[in-house]
Amino acid sequence: MANADAPFPVRVLRSKAFVLPLIVVFGLWPVWPLFVRQDPSALADPPKFVLLHLGFTACVLLATVLCFSPLRILFPGSGAALALNRHRRLVGVSAFIYGVLHFTMHLLYEGGFGVLATDITTPFMVIGMATLAILTALAATSSNLAIRLMGGRNWKRLHRLAYVAAGLAAWHQAEARKLFPMQVVWIFGPVALLQAARVWRNLSRRKSGA
Amino acid sequence: MHIHSRKDWELPDSAATPEKHFRNRRAFLKSLGMGIAGAAFAGRVSAATRGFPTTRNPNFNDTSLRLTPEDFVTSYNNFYEFGTDKAEPKIYANQGWETEPWSIEITGLARNRTRIDVNDLIDRVGGIEQRVYRHRCVEAWSMVVPWDGFALRKLVELADPTEDARYVRFVTFNDPDSAIGQARGNLPYPYVEGLRLDEATNELAFIATGVYGKPMPNQNGAPLRLVVPWKYGFKGIKSIVQVDFVATQPRNTWQIMASNEYGFYANVNPNVAHPRWSQASERIIGEGSFFNPGRKPTLMFNGYESQVASLYEGLDLRRNY
Repeated sequence: MANADAPFPVRVLRSKAFVLPLIVVFGLWPVWPLFVRQDPSALADPPKFVLLHLGFTACVLLATVLCFSPLRILFPGSGAALALNRHRRLVGVSAFIYGVLHFTMHLLYEGGFGVLATDITTPFMVIGMATLAILTALAATSSNLAIRLMGGRNWKRLHRLAYVAAGLAAWHQAEARKLFPMQVVWIFGPVALLQAARVWRNLSRRKSGA
Repeated sequence: MHIHSRKDWELPDSAATPEKHFRNRRAFLKSLGMGIAGAAFAGRVSAATRGFPTTRNPNFNDTSLRLTPEDFVTSYNNFYEFGTDKAEPKIYANQGWETEPWSIEITGLARNRTRIDVNDLIDRVGGIEQRVYRHRCVEAWSMVVPWDGFALRKLVELADPTEDARYVRFVTFNDPDSAIGQARGNLPYPYVEGLRLDEATNELAFIATGVYGKPMPNQNGAPLRLVVPWKYGFKGIKSIVQVDFVATQPRNTWQIMASNEYGFYANVNPNVAHPRWSQASERIIGEGSFFNPGRKPTLMFNGYESQVASLYEGLDLRRNY
């Protein structure tokens, strides 16, 4: 598996030392407008700015990780697709961590746990929390030990919930602004397209096999 | 009784522009603009410069309120004509969009249907003053803003609505070539808002032509906008081009977009939640930090209950949100 003679870009893509800092820097981006540029439109309400960015980051990472395995299946010969699949756990768990940070920020922003009493009355908030609940279950069972304990089939079945989480996350994000934010389409659109391509390929294979 | 209805061309003496204003600063700058030195400034002259400096009206100056820093007032904007992000209007409203000269049209059920230049309008209504108002956005954040302008009632009196007029309908400019949000079509444009006539003549209803003692920045709705502090911010239609007197309740833009979430009245009300979030409290812009919520309870009618509650006697505020 570890072929040292892979082209340089693929070797970079394979390395955790490249992907992990990327994920961290993505999440830390608000430091730039808040502390370096001191942009008044961000400083007007810094926690809100950070709250939205953390949720955005979680959505991007969740959508990204769900692109990895269809890419590998659709492009079996691609070294890049293989390299990306090495990071499924890292990117998936990162999406969970940003989700937790997003939720924590929400509690801070609203002034404590008291807000949960009203949260559970609005579908928008319930959907967000359901997403986080799924991500929590997936992160808790992300270790090799969990796979062994659960057995491969059960583990796989549970982790299909990631697609449900993506659907809920897209819904939650779509509800987060007064108007439908177009970013939902470009964040979750690729996952939907790749999944559609995968399903279409499986169906046409089955047909030609019969 | 004989009612003399004035023809459009019959302007009173007060409408004539005094000579000192005739050769005003902007005309001078504009002529400079033709030359080399002024070329850089010509595009930056904003409209409705008449009436400054202003003095603060002590009747509308609650000294217990702390003003939101000017930088936030002019950098954290909802003006979807120039993008839906809070930072976008300041960028995109200042890339060649012209707010000078600017005139508004008075139309519909009014005796004085006319088109009038904004600076002339300011003269006609007797100049401008400063008022400090709370500003509560439907997104549950708030500011305290020193607006410069005049009472909307004066504009209504100038228009002289007929007995059939029961509502005022306001319309914003429509220029997709200058306004990126209009080009993107994020809302059905032009933006429309409305008030009942008795709301429009309430002493609090205000037409702002400036903020913080300066002409209105483009991103805040230059050259003139509505300010109705007991209602959510989206009622405060910006960059008005038409004031239309009508008999039936107009449909405002946000009501057209999502009538289950936004109504005609949009009175600030902590007891009636938005379907997606509570309205019981508000984030104070410029206060609070990551560990200090900087929140306060939202007040009924945004703290203007004594001035406006009588307008809504007998009205079910839960249904008429």
